[in-house]
Amino acid sequence: MMKRTGTALSMTAAFLMVSTAISSAQDLAALEAAAKAEGMLTTIALPHDWCGYGEVIAGFKAKYPEITVNELNPDAGSADELEAVRANKDNKGPQAPDVLDIGLAFGPQAQSEGLLMPYKVSTWDSIPDNVKDADGHWYGDYYGVLSFAVNTDIVKTLPTDWSDLLKPEYAASVALAGDPRASNQAIFGVHAAGLASGAAAGAAAGEAGLNFFAELNKAGNFVPTIGKSGTLAQGATPIVIWWDYNALSGRDALNGNPPVEVVVPASGVVAGVYVQAISAYAPHPNAAKLWMEYLYSDEGQLGWLKGYCHPIRFNDMVARGVVPQELLDALPPAAAYEKAVFPTLDEQNAAKGVITSKWDSVVGANVQ
Amino acid sequence: MKQNRFWSWIFLAIGVLYFLLPLIGTFEFSLKMRRGVYSLDAYEAVIFDPRFQATFGYSVMMALATIVVGVLLVVPTAYWVRLRLPSWRPVLEFVTLLPLVIPPIVIVFGYIRLYNTSSWLPLTGTAMGTNILLMFGYVVLSLPYMYRAIDTGLRAIDVGTLTEAAQSLGAGWITIMWRVILPNVFVAVLSGAFLTFAIVIGEFVLAALLNRPAFGPYLQLIGANRAYEPAALAVIAFAITWGCMALIQVVSRFAPRPPAQPH
Amino acid sequence: MNDVTAAAAAALPAYRPKLSFAWVGVVPFVAFAFLFLILPTLQIVTGAFRNPAGEFTLANVANLFQPSILSAYWISIRISVASAFLGCVVGFLLAWAIVLGGLPSWVRSPILTFSGVASNFAGVPLAFAFLSTFGRLGLVTLVLRDWFGINIYAYGFNILSFGGLTLTYLFFQIPLMVLIVTPALDGMRREWREAASILGASGFQYWRMVALPILWPTLLGTFALLFANAFGAVATAYALTGSSLSIVPILLFAQIRGDVLQDPHLGYALAFGMIVVTGIANFIYIWLRTRSERWIK
Repeated sequence: MMKRTGTALSMTAAFLMVSTAISSAQDLAALEAAAKAEGMLTTIALPHDWCGYGEVIAGFKAKYPEITVNELNPDAGSADELEAVRANKDNKGPQAPDVLDIGLAFGPQAQSEGLLMPYKVSTWDSIPDNVKDADGHWYGDYYGVLSFAVNTDIVKTLPTDWSDLLKPEYAASVALAGDPRASNQAIFGVHAAGLASGAAAGAAAGEAGLNFFAELNKAGNFVPTIGKSGTLAQGATPIVIWWDYNALSGRDALNGNPPVEVVVPASGVVAGVYVQAISAYAPHPNAAKLWMEYLYSDEGQLGWLKGYCHPIRFNDMVARGVVPQELLDALPPAAAYEKAVFPTLDEQNAAKGVITSKWDSVVGANVQ
Repeated sequence: MKQNRFWSWIFLAIGVLYFLLPLIGTFEFSLKMRRGVYSLDAYEAVIFDPRFQATFGYSVMMALATIVVGVLLVVPTAYWVRLRLPSWRPVLEFVTLLPLVIPPIVIVFGYIRLYNTSSWLPLTGTAMGTNILLMFGYVVLSLPYMYRAIDTGLRAIDVGTLTEAAQSLGAGWITIMWRVILPNVFVAVLSGAFLTFAIVIGEFVLAALLNRPAFGPYLQLIGANRAYEPAALAVIAFAITWGCMALIQVVSRFAPRPPAQPH
Repeated sequence: MNDVTAAAAAALPAYRPKLSFAWVGVVPFVAFAFLFLILPTLQIVTGAFRNPAGEFTLANVANLFQPSILSAYWISIRISVASAFLGCVVGFLLAWAIVLGGLPSWVRSPILTFSGVASNFAGVPLAFAFLSTFGRLGLVTLVLRDWFGINIYAYGFNILSFGGLTLTYLFFQIPLMVLIVTPALDGMRREWREAASILGASGFQYWRMVALPILWPTLLGTFALLFANAFGAVATAYALTGSSLSIVPILLFAQIRGDVLQDPHLGYALAFGMIVVTGIANFIYIWLRTRSERWIK
């Protein structure tokens, strides 16, 4: 009796799964048709070297050749993306972005302004709860941790942790990859330095991080230039504090000239999450939804992994064994990521408030 | 006169040194793409890209259109204000200085808000409309330089007397502008044209957000996270823009001008 | 009676104050400026006086008077004045050299076209060019150190400083000056020079009493242009010393374009403040020019 019930139940479950698979496949087919009818997708702020977006976009174009992809302003920051949505409210031309890739803090902000269209991709359930909006307005897409990109032609001993950076051998070497008063990446850098000194995430780590950079500056090790591939290679900023995916793809692009080592610090490992969203005023909503389906499918997520970003469904995909071994090997050792701290939105905002307002006074603008 | 020339050569030499050194620094770095040897690898990666030629061509056409519209807009206005409305000059000068301190991103978002597909002037709806909008944006960006150059040129000639003389000979306004004023401020117009050309070729924000295939966004796409390619691109863009300006200079010799003043 | 008055009216020309239609001539420009410059950027003015809820407020403008922002304006003004002044002087000397300095005529054209290109060579490429030349591992630094034994960094030179930034700004300021001033120098008649020397003036006196006064309004105007040009320049400074320089465009950048949630209304207030400063600078220039123009013509 139990056995039969068991079989009946599992058969029902299997039937339901198959039928939902059929219904979602039908949904997908309908979505594809609608998207192809729209014929266009407009993206914004997707540099080709960031998380392998170049290949991700190429993959999308190859899969759906009827959809033209307009890429607006790869240099845009998250605030620019939201401003583009606001400015294009009444515009249905190709200047209006359909899809957004913004910092975590911008998700709720955009939602409160009514700039986002809710949508739950078919793989919704495998996205962790703490990085998505319950109603589907925004959802985490990838994350990375802060690391040091070191030009080993110029810097002979690798720093292993934040405290190493204070040593005299790194004089005039350390740079952030952005302006800590405006750039998510740079603010996370200061936050991470604070966490390394033992402070709790949030405002405390912000203060501690500022003090660290003040010391770094006083020791003469801090270079106020914005660190990029060019300045790393040329030698103006031989150590750049970068997201690991940027550091790794930068290392690849330089191709050994100069050789670059990417070091995840032993302590103070902080992870930053970005989120995807569809614009509420998107001229091509079906193409936008299809893009999301593509990004959150295994194919899209692996595309990001190839660009050294940890896709948000990473743990789920590893558990199911769909991640190729060579991609796993190309990443920094997993042990480093186990210590990663994911600051909550409140902690991020608190830290940001402290860092952006006090950077000038604590660290001291040394360009007077 | 001999002493004059000595100092001239000194100033010229200092100027040339100051301007060439950073360019040499960039060039030397761009040659380092292959480890240990100087090579042209970074240049190969850049020049044979078909998008390079397409986007550069587009930007050149936009630059020429911007120059023409800019000259047609600014020369008559500056002339007229100098002649008849001298009290407006301060206002005009202030307005033409504004594009220098207003961030271009505010301008472009303003355009999108005002001239989108649901507005009274739906310029963003068509490619040609967006091209025109972009060109007007470029005219605005180059306004400070164009105006200042032309105003300097007009100051150097006696506008009032020339106009009276032409009118007494029976010339209408168009004739005065085309055959009397324009040739006399030609050098100034050329300066303004050079400045405008350089601005349009390198401009990024307007083109990127209006979704037009210009050279600026292409440079950004290629150079964003690279080390050697942007340096090569900077050198190439510099050289090609210089070449285009030399062409403009050569073509301009066929334009009507007064005989060169001996100094 | 009618005939008499009509005849009298016909005999006398009717007196009517003449309506000047001179303003019609500037209509195209005004319309263009309004549609494509003023209207799109009106958002700056309205945004500066609004809070996120959309109500009118003076809080944003009041916020501008905090010490960090005031000092940012001050640094901006200092750098703009320094690079404008040096750009004027060096640019003028260079322009003089190629126009009036007795150089061969083939020198002029390449210098002018080069100036055209260099005047817009700014931002990341320019910052990188100077870093790769005068940075700690720059070409010139290394050459001086290895071939001549001079370590400029030991003498206190640092490209990442106020002086270094000014030096970098000059790369686009000087060519701008050269291009604008050349037509004015072209307009200097040889006859004036000859007349002055006939009357016994030395070269120096000619310049001080004839040439400079004539050129003075042009020099002032170009100085104002160079000032505004440097004041609004952000890309170069950002790329070179972005994380430690507090100039207003960088602060503006952080508020309205950054990667973190900021206060766009403060950003608009900053932009509004920049427009006000430019207006003041322009006003000073107009005042000085009017005073000097009294003696010309």
